[in-house]
Amino acid sequence: MPTPALKISNLRKVYRRGNVAVDDLSLTVEEGDFFGFLGPNGAGKSTTIHCITGIAEPTSGSIEIFGLDAVKNYREARRLVGLCTQEFNVDPFATGRQIVDWMGGYFGMGRAERKARIDYLMERFELGPHEKKSFRELSGGLKRRVILARALVNDPKLLILDEPTAGVDVELRRVLWRYLQEINGDGRTILLTSHYLEEVERLCRDVAIVNNGKIVRQGTKDEISGGPGGLENAYLAATGAEPDHVAGQ
Amino acid sequence: MQDTRKPTLLPKMGVNWIGLGTIVRREVSRMMRVPIQAFIAPWISALLFIFIFGFVVGGRIATIGGVRYLEFVLPGILMMNVVNAAFLQSSSAIYFSRFIKFIEEILVSPLSYWEMIAGSLSVVVLRASITGVGILIMGLFFHAVQIQSFPLFLFWVVSVSAVFGLLGIIVGLWSKSFEQLNMPVVFFLTPLSMVGGVFNTVEMLPDWLRWTAWANPFFYFINGIRGAMIGVDETPPGLGVGLTLLSLAVLSITVWRMYAKGYGLRE
Repeated sequence: MPTPALKISNLRKVYRRGNVAVDDLSLTVEEGDFFGFLGPNGAGKSTTIHCITGIAEPTSGSIEIFGLDAVKNYREARRLVGLCTQEFNVDPFATGRQIVDWMGGYFGMGRAERKARIDYLMERFELGPHEKKSFRELSGGLKRRVILARALVNDPKLLILDEPTAGVDVELRRVLWRYLQEINGDGRTILLTSHYLEEVERLCRDVAIVNNGKIVRQGTKDEISGGPGGLENAYLAATGAEPDHVAGQ
Repeated sequence: MQDTRKPTLLPKMGVNWIGLGTIVRREVSRMMRVPIQAFIAPWISALLFIFIFGFVVGGRIATIGGVRYLEFVLPGILMMNVVNAAFLQSSSAIYFSRFIKFIEEILVSPLSYWEMIAGSLSVVVLRASITGVGILIMGLFFHAVQIQSFPLFLFWVVSVSAVFGLLGIIVGLWSKSFEQLNMPVVFFLTPLSMVGGVFNTVEMLPDWLRWTAWANPFFYFINGIRGAMIGVDETPPGLGVGLTLLSLAVLSITVWRMYAKGYGLRE
């Protein structure tokens, strides 16, 4: 049996002011899976991702990435992960190419390896004509592409996407979907959070729904969306919203 | 049930030299975006100090410690600017990266805390050294540059810039606003460096005020570099070097612990 790509056990995260963001959350993502991680705003999705990637410190519990402890063996574990953040957390005065190049450098990639990889990503995400513009000069969609290219520069075995298509146009969304399906087909594991349920239905094989820091429903996409109303109703029911009321009926 | 599956086998990481070098490249790139702030401003300020205190006022003072007044004040002016350059480089780099949140790029990377700290400090030393070399070149035009011991001179520039680079990291991690970031410069760095013996010897102070010089850490740094440049040192041999190395050790451990605990870095 292969080692899971991600195994979270009893994760708890309490912020300094006492706000419990994640409460006893356990989750396993098998290697090669395309995993949808859903929940309303403030449910604990981003905090969980931050704990996995080292942006936040877990209060308790454990996180393993391909069997490596994400806290104790953080350097080895992080080599396997790519993170596409929800926010544009970049130096706004740097160019798109610099941003991606620096990230490759942090991951220890040599100059030639970085150049080849960045050339590929710039072409793939149609960033070539814009690669020398500073990040703040780019449109929202182009900024999102740079963030994606940055997440992919180290060719991660586990790719974590925190609302990667928020605010992007339909064309880019489809370009991105095709690319994600392609790398998932090549064996890459993907953890996706999104508010677009259509996106999750189209891409993911397994789904977990989180609310108030806890997993409230988990299973294959078919299991969860199999009932009446599909994934949307299952999501609304799991998060405590009333589908009819939400629909205004 | 116990999970008996084996973890992924990866070679243990050694020093991530490329990652460390990338931190340096990124910070140099950021520094070169603001050359006026980084280099021209301290050079102009140093030139004015040299001209007014060294040349105009100093012209009316015969000698001090056996050397021309301009030669006496130059090491102190150089050290003041090294300190400022070092502190501003690291504090602003850390604070800006926290403020914009691109510090997260480093946090999600396979970099050790020592690599993160060493990368930042390398740029601190570089900026402080360039600032210092510029001031030395100005001093040459006034025929005021002597270096009695080059290894000691190098020790003082590198170690003092590292001390203030580390202090800058602490302040950059602690600050929650630009106001807080500037507080140490206004209330600590500028006043202490001004009264730290840049313009006078301890002997020139009234007896009741001399303890302020001995209690001022800047006094040891300024005396140290003055000793390396013109051979005039008012502190007992080895005291300044010892205090500087002790400060370096204490501050390095403090900064490492802050990184390891995620103070100001992680949520």
